[in-house]
Amino acid sequence: MKNKGQQEMVGFVLIVVLVMIGMMVFLVISLRDSPENKGSLEVGNILDAIMKHTTECAIVYEPDYDNFEDLFKSCHQGDVCNNLNESACDYLNESLQVVISDLMKSEASVSAYQLDFFVKDDEGQLGLLQISDGNCTGNVNSAQRNVVSNSDSLIIRMKMCN
Amino acid sequence: MTLSFLEKKKFPRSRKNFNSLASLKGQMKIQQMAFMIVAVFFFFVLVGLFFLEIQFKDIKSGAAQLQKDQAISSLKVIADMPELNYNSRESMMIDEDKLKIISGSFGLDYDLFWPVASVGIYKIYPAFNEIKKCPGLGCNFYEIYNSEQKNVKTYSTYVSICKKMKEYGSVYDRCEVGKLVVGVKIYEE
Repeated sequence: MKNKGQQEMVGFVLIVVLVMIGMMVFLVISLRDSPENKGSLEVGNILDAIMKHTTECAIVYEPDYDNFEDLFKSCHQGDVCNNLNESACDYLNESLQVVISDLMKSEASVSAYQLDFFVKDDEGQLGLLQISDGNCTGNVNSAQRNVVSNSDSLIIRMKMCN
Repeated sequence: MTLSFLEKKKFPRSRKNFNSLASLKGQMKIQQMAFMIVAVFFFFVLVGLFFLEIQFKDIKSGAAQLQKDQAISSLKVIADMPELNYNSRESMMIDEDKLKIISGSFGLDYDLFWPVASVGIYKIYPAFNEIKKCPGLGCNFYEIYNSEQKNVKTYSTYVSICKKMKEYGSVYDRCEVGKLVVGVKIYEE
């Protein structure tokens, strides 16, 4: 009689333990980092608007000013802004930070952002620039644009956290 | 003989007792098992509900994201209208000169043209603390159309505001980051 009671208790504990393990696995799956939305239309539009923004940097002559898309290429090619006497990469770093931080001021729902500029080739990726701010606590939306410069593929990727 | 007598005398009573006790215990066992089955069933139902809740949360957020994407795609139609578009080959580029005209008195003729409750464009860069309506010095907001309707939900997306500039005798395109904001009337049932 006592043996049977023990058997039942062991059975019940086994069921509870199994269900607990199942729930733990499920919780770990559901609470892990939510998958990144890589093709966000919203972030894509922001990135497009940034890429078309005209800068003050003229590589050859004024007023042939680069927009950010051209400036990414100029930075990769190691050009210098003739009118500013500053390297394209330095100017890109400074101006892009200012533009993005101003842009994010109009987006109250964005808690953090990150912009990566890197060159991708057969050997791998080489990071040229990274601009980021804030702490991400929510969902991540991202978009990227590819620019070709001297047969290299330049990738500009933007991530925004809501 | 004596034994059989004893058996007849004593055992019938105790066997009856044993039988009734056994049937009671059996009933208890059945009840115990039934309670256990019901408890385990409810337990699994609760686990299932918890699982479904989390699954539906994902579906709800996915649906909200799709709705947002659809709204942004609709804004593209407005941004690419010939009345606003800068370069017909490029999408999401607004002509600032057209904006100046349409946000002025000329825009009154377009009141019946817009299929929405309001249309406006902000200049995002450089950042501003107060909204200054265009045309004007240092302005940052072009109000293209406003029907003054209440119960309006706004959708926005980023665009490029471009214009032709002349410097050192050469003409070039200067583009800035802007934000197109469109208000849509909400009809309550």
